[in-house]
Amino acid sequence: MKTRASKFLAIILDNLIWILVLAGLVIFSVLSPSFRTPFNLVNTLSRSAYLGVLVIGQAFAMISGNFDLSSESGLGLTAMVAGLFLASTTNGGFGFEVSPILAILIMIAVGLIIGFINGILITRMRMNNLIVTIAMQMILRGLIYIISPGATASFFPKSFDWLGGGNLIKIPMEKGNLAIPTASIFIILAFIIAHIITRYTQFGRNMYAVGSNPVAAKDAGIETDKIIRIVYLISGFCMAIGGLLIAGRLDSATPRIGAGLIFPVQAAAVVGGVSLFGGRGTMIGAFGGLLLWSILDSGLSIMEVSPFWIEASRGLLLLFAVGIDAIKVKGMHQRALEESLATTQIGLKDNKIVTD
Amino acid sequence: MNIEKIKTSAAPILVMTEVSKAFPGVQALRRVNLRVLPGEIHGLVGKNGAGKTTLMAVLMGITEPNEGTIEISGKVFATMTSKEAIEAGIAYVPQHVAMMDSLTVAENILAGELPKNKLGFVDWKRVNQEAEKRLEQLNLRLDVTKKVEGLGVAEQTMLAISKALFGNAKLIILDEPTASLSRSDINRLFDFVKSLRDKGVSFVYISHHLEEVFEICDRVTVMRDGRIVDTKNVKDIGIPELIMMMVGEGVEEYTRESTCTDEIVFVLNNLTRRGCYEDISLELKKGEVVGITGLQGCGSEQLGKGLFGLEYRGVGEVKIHGEEFTAMRPIDSFNQGLAYLPQDRYRFGLVGVRPVRENVTYPILNRLVRLINLINRNEEKKIVSDYIKGLDIITPNQEQPVRLLSGGNQQKVVFAKLASTKPTVLILHEPTQGVDVRAKMDIFRIIDELAKQGVATVVLSSEIRELIGLCDRILVMNSGKLTHEYKKGAKDTTPENILNAIEGGKENHG
Repeated sequence: MKTRASKFLAIILDNLIWILVLAGLVIFSVLSPSFRTPFNLVNTLSRSAYLGVLVIGQAFAMISGNFDLSSESGLGLTAMVAGLFLASTTNGGFGFEVSPILAILIMIAVGLIIGFINGILITRMRMNNLIVTIAMQMILRGLIYIISPGATASFFPKSFDWLGGGNLIKIPMEKGNLAIPTASIFIILAFIIAHIITRYTQFGRNMYAVGSNPVAAKDAGIETDKIIRIVYLISGFCMAIGGLLIAGRLDSATPRIGAGLIFPVQAAAVVGGVSLFGGRGTMIGAFGGLLLWSILDSGLSIMEVSPFWIEASRGLLLLFAVGIDAIKVKGMHQRALEESLATTQIGLKDNKIVTD
Repeated sequence: MNIEKIKTSAAPILVMTEVSKAFPGVQALRRVNLRVLPGEIHGLVGKNGAGKTTLMAVLMGITEPNEGTIEISGKVFATMTSKEAIEAGIAYVPQHVAMMDSLTVAENILAGELPKNKLGFVDWKRVNQEAEKRLEQLNLRLDVTKKVEGLGVAEQTMLAISKALFGNAKLIILDEPTASLSRSDINRLFDFVKSLRDKGVSFVYISHHLEEVFEICDRVTVMRDGRIVDTKNVKDIGIPELIMMMVGEGVEEYTRESTCTDEIVFVLNNLTRRGCYEDISLELKKGEVVGITGLQGCGSEQLGKGLFGLEYRGVGEVKIHGEEFTAMRPIDSFNQGLAYLPQDRYRFGLVGVRPVRENVTYPILNRLVRLINLINRNEEKKIVSDYIKGLDIITPNQEQPVRLLSGGNQQKVVFAKLASTKPTVLILHEPTQGVDVRAKMDIFRIIDELAKQGVATVVLSSEIRELIGLCDRILVMNSGKLTHEYKKGAKDTTPENILNAIEGGKENHG
């Protein structure tokens, strides 16, 4: 009986995020007519697409047992770099007015360089990943101010804004057209790709092994350092895409762009079941975390709840999520203790022989 | 189980009566009876997995026994919590004591009861005086103003013992206290422990160093397979007798036909790593099984890790199939035909939370990936199911997390992982540790099967009887050198001779 109950509890805990997403959708739809409009529903996701890309990068880092706290500044820097290269001098840019394709390539290059440096410092120099990425966060934010210098770059080419702020298709409705934002579709595709990488590739599998038991992973012939370096490269790539989305959405790049974003990123990943202790969590769960976060955000602000309460409710959600994770881990530790005592015994398996 | 009539009339401080503990699938303790007298140092010895840890876990209230009672100073418990155990006077001092390292000795001693002055601030003068006074009662001289992290390991252990005594502990469990101590530190620690014993404190002393047990203990209890073999006065027995009790006689004997051929596949030439092993020269033939045995710390462990590329290998020639073996990383070792089974499969061998399927294929994924890194699942599943059948791994399905399997089946998963790399040379470190008797037989059969297929195997093990049945040759390693060789079927290949070779080497160097 006890095991059946705990199994049931485990299933609830494992799928808690989707229960909460559903509950959020239903509750806000009932309470607020403007929340349940198709327009709001399709836009909720597009508004947090840039957040979602960073959640993907963070989930990669966390599954491999690391953190990347530099991603908010990385997003800011790539957006600013692109802004400076794209905008005319009157609009705060360098006046190069490069083609959007080139700007995007430069952004990706900057993101990859950030990820590369993070990875090298953490694996080659054996520096603590938390501290390295916090330091990187500060350095990059400083860099944004240095290069911009403190000003905003704006008015980018339409094609550059398409991914972050444009529409993919317009669906004719009774009253006007319903435009589907490119970013909504893009973020879903991005999570699908991330899911395929984590679940179906050799790299993804090795990443889980490194996050769960780095020593055993090494003994099994996995190059743990290489995996971690790739993880940080991916995270850097995600920063660049996040920068592209936010810059396109705002049609400008300000020095404060992305500041403070790391907390929602962490929160969404943890709420989605990605473990702080590495080795556990899925991209589907992380997507659920992102959805819940955006639904809560959008729902509460549509209902004109005070922003102070919105902030407080985010904190409560995060505490709740970490609490759930702690309960799971505690259960695991208890079982692990009992099991390790049990399995270090040289005993006879057959209980009939034992109870002589 | 006849516990000898105890001469002293003093009531025992601890009486464990018929204590049994079963974990799912394993009987960890079977009707254990243990008495510890006041003012005695009671040795507890046994191989890894004999049940010492579980017995102490029961005594400390960490796990509940299924049957039996624990009586501490006349108070009887059927089950107890760790809080009750501490209140009853049980204290545990581990190998690495955990204290507030960055605080001073005095603060550690008086933690929670720091004397305060009238204003409610801590009265540091009195803190230090009080701490000194207490240590003086135990004849322990320590600078109480020094930070604990600045103390030596021996001092830290003594401080931990003292702290336990100030907390009114009556029975202190010392778990491998000398593992990282120098000889002079050991002497100081032993003098301290003996002086406390003379004051009436009791100790349970757990150690793998048998000569230390003889040095410090009054009585010694031997455990094997979850049972107490016997409790003896240390004066009445010697080390060989004690080892015999630990290893046990009448263990199911296993012998195998030699599959050794004439083709030499693995050559070590003068391999030397300073401080670990010296001048290791060895030739292995296709299908040969060679055992290497010795005391803990003799260097065989480092040899295995060094060859696999987990640690520095040292200088010397290593050849597989006549080609220089150059691998510096595990993945290269697998590719160049050498596979290694680590001793502690939980920490090193397996990724516990991941499924059986993934654990088998980590080293061979390179061969299973198709375009852009995607794994060919069907082929993978087929390979894994072949190994599950071939090695008789008992698991509900391939997706079962390995930590939920029994010890023996976990070990088979590690074997499947190694076998999947199709090695030329296989190095096994304590392959039968922590697996039940039946799984042991299965593992022997797996080793035999691999040898038949031509794998040259090195078994690093302290299980001498098992080695005799399994190996074509047994080499004894003493302080980093191969000193003796025993051939299969030769007259002098007996457990006693090999034990003597191990112990003998020790006297020369120790």
